[in-house]
Amino acid sequence: MGDIGSSLIGKRIPKLDAPDKASGKTRYIHDLEAPGALHAKILRSTEVHARIVWIDTAAAKRLPGVHAVITAADVPWQRPIGVAKDHLPLKTDRVRSLRDEVAAVAADTEEIAEEALKLIKVHYEPLPVLTTTDEALAPGAPQLHEGHANNVAMTFDYAQGDVAQGEAQSDVVIEDVFRLHYVTHCCMGVSGVIAEFDPGGSLLLYSNTQVPFLHKREFAEMLGIDPGRIRIIQPPIGGGFGSKLDVYPFEPIAIFLARITGRPVKLLFTREEEFLASPTRQPVVLKLRSGCKKDGTLTFRTVETVHDNGAYTSWGATTPFVMMQTVSSLYRVPHCKYHTAAVYTNNPYAGSFRGYGNLQATFAVEAHMDKLAEAVGMDLLAFRLKNAQEPGEVTPQGMHFKTCGFKQCLTTAAERSDFVAKQAANRARWRDANPVKRGIGIASMLHVGGGAKIYPSDGCGTILKVDDFAHVTLITGASEIGQGSETVLAQLVCEELGLPLSAVSVVNNDTDITPWDVGVHASRTTFIAGNSAIGAARKAKAKILAAAAAKAGVPVETLSLSQGFVFSENKKLFELGKFLRGLHFSDRAELVMTTFYYEPPSKHQDKQFKGDVSAAYAWATQACEVEVDTLTGIVRLLKVTGAHDVGRVLNRLGIEGQIEGGMVMGMGYALTENLVVENCTVKNPNFRDYKLVTAPEMPEMDISFIETMDGEGPQGAKGVGEAPAICMAAAIANAIYNATGTRIYALPFTPENVYRALHGAAQAPAWGKAA
Amino acid sequence: MSANCDIEFTLNGVKRQLSVPAGMSTLEMLRERLGLRGTKYACGEGECGACTILVDGLTLNSCLMFAVDCDGRELQTVEGVAASEVGARLRDAFVANGAVQCGFCTPGLMVQASHVIEHNPGAGAAEIRRGIEGNLCRCTGYKKIIEAIQAAEQKNG
Amino acid sequence: MHAIERYVRPGSLEEAAEILRAGNVTVLAGGTDLMPQTHAGRVKFQSVLMNVRRVPELRGIEEHGGVVRIGALVTITELRESALVRERLNVLWQACDHFASDQIRNAATLGGNVCNASPAGDTLVPLLALEARTVLASKPNGSLETRRIPLDKFFSGPGRTLKKPSELLAAIEVPLPPQGFVGEFYKHGTRPGLDISAISIAVGAQLKGKVLNEVRIAFGAVAPTPIRAPRAEAVLEGREADAATLEAAAQAALGEIHPISDVRASDWYRRELVRNMLKRVISHVGQL
Ligand SMILES: Cc1cc2nc3c(=O)[nH]c(=O)nc-3n(C[C@H](O)[C@H](O)[C@H](O)COP(=O)(O)OP(=O)(O)OC[C@H]3O[C@@H](n4cnc5c(N)ncnc54)[C@H](O)[C@@H]3O)c2cc1C
Ligand code: FES
Ligand code: FES
Repeated sequence: MGDIGSSLIGKRIPKLDAPDKASGKTRYIHDLEAPGALHAKILRSTEVHARIVWIDTAAAKRLPGVHAVITAADVPWQRPIGVAKDHLPLKTDRVRSLRDEVAAVAADTEEIAEEALKLIKVHYEPLPVLTTTDEALAPGAPQLHEGHANNVAMTFDYAQGDVAQGEAQSDVVIEDVFRLHYVTHCCMGVSGVIAEFDPGGSLLLYSNTQVPFLHKREFAEMLGIDPGRIRIIQPPIGGGFGSKLDVYPFEPIAIFLARITGRPVKLLFTREEEFLASPTRQPVVLKLRSGCKKDGTLTFRTVETVHDNGAYTSWGATTPFVMMQTVSSLYRVPHCKYHTAAVYTNNPYAGSFRGYGNLQATFAVEAHMDKLAEAVGMDLLAFRLKNAQEPGEVTPQGMHFKTCGFKQCLTTAAERSDFVAKQAANRARWRDANPVKRGIGIASMLHVGGGAKIYPSDGCGTILKVDDFAHVTLITGASEIGQGSETVLAQLVCEELGLPLSAVSVVNNDTDITPWDVGVHASRTTFIAGNSAIGAARKAKAKILAAAAAKAGVPVETLSLSQGFVFSENKKLFELGKFLRGLHFSDRAELVMTTFYYEPPSKHQDKQFKGDVSAAYAWATQACEVEVDTLTGIVRLLKVTGAHDVGRVLNRLGIEGQIEGGMVMGMGYALTENLVVENCTVKNPNFRDYKLVTAPEMPEMDISFIETMDGEGPQGAKGVGEAPAICMAAAIANAIYNATGTRIYALPFTPENVYRALHGAAQAPAWGKAA
Repeated sequence: MSANCDIEFTLNGVKRQLSVPAGMSTLEMLRERLGLRGTKYACGEGECGACTILVDGLTLNSCLMFAVDCDGRELQTVEGVAASEVGARLRDAFVANGAVQCGFCTPGLMVQASHVIEHNPGAGAAEIRRGIEGNLCRCTGYKKIIEAIQAAEQKNG
Repeated sequence: MHAIERYVRPGSLEEAAEILRAGNVTVLAGGTDLMPQTHAGRVKFQSVLMNVRRVPELRGIEEHGGVVRIGALVTITELRESALVRERLNVLWQACDHFASDQIRNAATLGGNVCNASPAGDTLVPLLALEARTVLASKPNGSLETRRIPLDKFFSGPGRTLKKPSELLAAIEVPLPPQGFVGEFYKHGTRPGLDISAISIAVGAQLKGKVLNEVRIAFGAVAPTPIRAPRAEAVLEGREADAATLEAAAQAALGEIHPISDVRASDWYRRELVRNMLKRVISHVGQL
């Protein structure tokens, strides 16, 4: 703690990298030049599903300025990538979706590379196409991958208690099918990579990956070189949101071209390519059956989902890890059963995306919370409060809620939005003549807030040095992806060492320098890297104070660091820089350098998906107010009132920004964004028809923080990166019901879909085949 | 390839002479020919505003503007705006108000915001929102950007 | 991309017409349609790219003898900032206010919007309701000639007009509507601007008490070209906008439109919108 002087915790601290970014000085991957670099382009399949009969690259190779044209035949040493290793970067004999990489070119300029692509001839023999999971699961359907006879890529089964017993005890049982749609990340910076080999065969990769240390291992295996010979530098990233957690084909392809040409190779997507060939949040059909007693006690929940996995398996297939947590543990439910089949189709494949399945699960669960409450005649808030988790609870799935501000989130959001009164008033207007209706809806979420033990380690390392001028260099494994982690880490270190923010530099983007970290995902960076940074800072502090105590001949307990000084009680003892120089230039020369590795006290889940996977859990409730024009189907989001259990606010400015951005992203998921995929083809690969929320549509946002001071968290904080996006669609769905009396089970709530639902017309297909 | 044309224009206060292909966009010219990488590509179709620049005092999407059309005109990019008095005010306000996250949209927004402030001094929140409707931001949810522009505006008063 | 062999910048209408007469010319105004269209390969460059931005005759908004002449190069921003347009051609002003974004409005020209002839072009719908005409300039026999085509005859299909390749659109002429003429423009979408219209409606009328006269209705994005709806107009002419009349007008309009289904909306939904929104827009006009 900053013993003397003011603490930085909870203040509005501007991001360290903001001044450069606001001056146009920050160099993103697109802006980097590697001298002598070639420019690469990828030829993608023009067939949804086909056998590749032959590829003729001769004409492309003859084009002046072309240095290499490669196909799978040129890289026999390539290896399958992705979560299930079912995916070769360059396809050999078969393409399974329109994005599939068939050949690649490296040339002097992008224009030449593009010209060369046009000269490559590929002969395909079309194969039957699986446009929907229904088709893929039908008996006799063609098989997309060896070893997956029924096209099921992965299954997940979880159970607690006995749902039959739960159902028998229920006074009300309801069942519905929910349909979730395709969306994609739309990072403003398109994907890109620069690969370069030195003459000795060591690889230098400029990459925007969120998991550099895992990538290193994967590329080393593929290239057959020692991982120590791979260095990954992460330039500032133009948005992540989970899109950069897996190895996607473009990175190995750039590496292949660099190795073959012996030149640096730069590969950048166009926006259209970004839409066509980056991962998605996938369509899910979710059947939910739930029940409760007359007094409002939840009895059971059964969930069956079919995930459209697309043609290959990436993280999207594993979203059930998170979905089942919401199903089993957001509210207290004694009996639960969960099943997911992730099914291969010829559609774009599914990756990880902020919220990781939780948006989908929460959408269904919170709709049923409304419906069950209504069925037993209970107030929507009271019903939720009755079933909400409390601190200290260990759920049947094994999650231990050491801190839990759920009930405070519920009551705070409800009070600040005047939820109960507005609900009633809106319902009273269902039948009046005005075609423009108002509604308010509420939804809550539970998400990991202290990392997630998905890999054997969920840890992060820190190296810290304090130099002769009391300037601190914090070297952390945790990458910055725009979320502001480096500022928070600097802040935590300053707090320990009693230094101003200007005294810290953060180094976080070079695997040759930074210590290991599992990667930026699962809202873990503040929590895990924060604890790691604090650990290193505390060691440095102990070292400094011990030396100071020895020099001054006072007990170390009386000393502290603050305002750039070593204090004894309330008196300035030494100016820190001067003291450190003294320590350094002495006959027992000493520098202050420390290391720390933090591994959270969470557990890997067992085979039954039980275990306390996170060191802390985050909670939130959001109330959304909407206006629905029943004559057009247009839903306007007027206001969001959010209450978030964040453990503790470390940087108010940063956390508000995360929550506001997440709210608007969740709003886009609910109201405007829709990747239209018809016959396995993306129909709207541009911002004109894939609609992100724009400034005039932004709702009023009211955010409250519930500070539960998590014992394990850095200064009491929990992770919040994903939380704000999660309950938006659920709350908006409940608000539309409150406005109109019509419940819509399929996303997105675009004007036409809403209009159809309100007027009883058949739903336009959210994805899959045209009607 | 298209015919090359000689053009002359002022860029951030400095006269420039250049020969560019007739089909080239101003965005490409700025980034690839002149090495000014502050102006960003994020769509190339006028939908995102990341490439916003000032031409003769009005903002345009440089990805939609033919480079040959720069002839005889006065261009300002984010690098020029950042060096101006309004730009400095805006930069400080963007930083202090948390309007920057990944920062990829920020250069375009800085230029557009400077235009909003100069052309509509005293613009309220609603006008600012309309003023930046052509700039997409995926990270911030816009609230802090709007607050930052308002703060920069007030410093002016 | 097809090769541009020559880039020219005429300084007068004479010069521009002369270049056009020689043929194989792509006209460049603001470029906001031309750049994305050529980039995506939907439109091919001719061998000559002619930038008309320096042709002074294509500029300016002026009123003479009851006719407003708007030069083809006038930008959407200029229209939006013009007091004359705001006060006397308010439906057009509304469309300009709902047009794209500031950056696009600063570049996009009225001439470009008209020549691009998109069924969803936002200025075309109010211009139809204002009974505007195009002024086309060419130099067939060595001297500059102009001809005028009423806008409701000008469009022949999506992206197609009666303008000959040798002609330049010089201006749009809009007869000043009678005093007391009011109008409303509706563009369907969730955003105020930056959105391509799924449907758009312009309604104008002169109000005598509550009675509608000189009723003019135009639609965008519900047919291969923007269209007038004369039958719906006839239903309303000389009537008050009561519920029965509104319904009759909407029914008449439904017989005049031919919407398609695309990624933005289904034909069914477009019809529903026309029915619901036409009634809403007319009843607003009836109360102005
Ligand atoms: C992001 C974005 C959003 C948009 N939003 C809208 C919108 O909301 N509403 C809308 O209606 N449109 C919209 N558009 C389309 C476009 O901006 C307009 O159609 C604009 O008015 C075109 O004008 P321009 O000067 O840029 O035309 P240009 O691109 O220069 O030209 C368009 C076409 O007209 C021809 N042409 C131009 N001027 C003349 C002339 N004087 N004589 C003969 N031929 C000529 C050109 O050869 C070309 O074929 C949008 C475009 C983009 C990129
Ligand atoms: S890159 Fe120009 S508007 Fe998006
Ligand atoms: S800050 Fe990332 S897009 Fe705006």
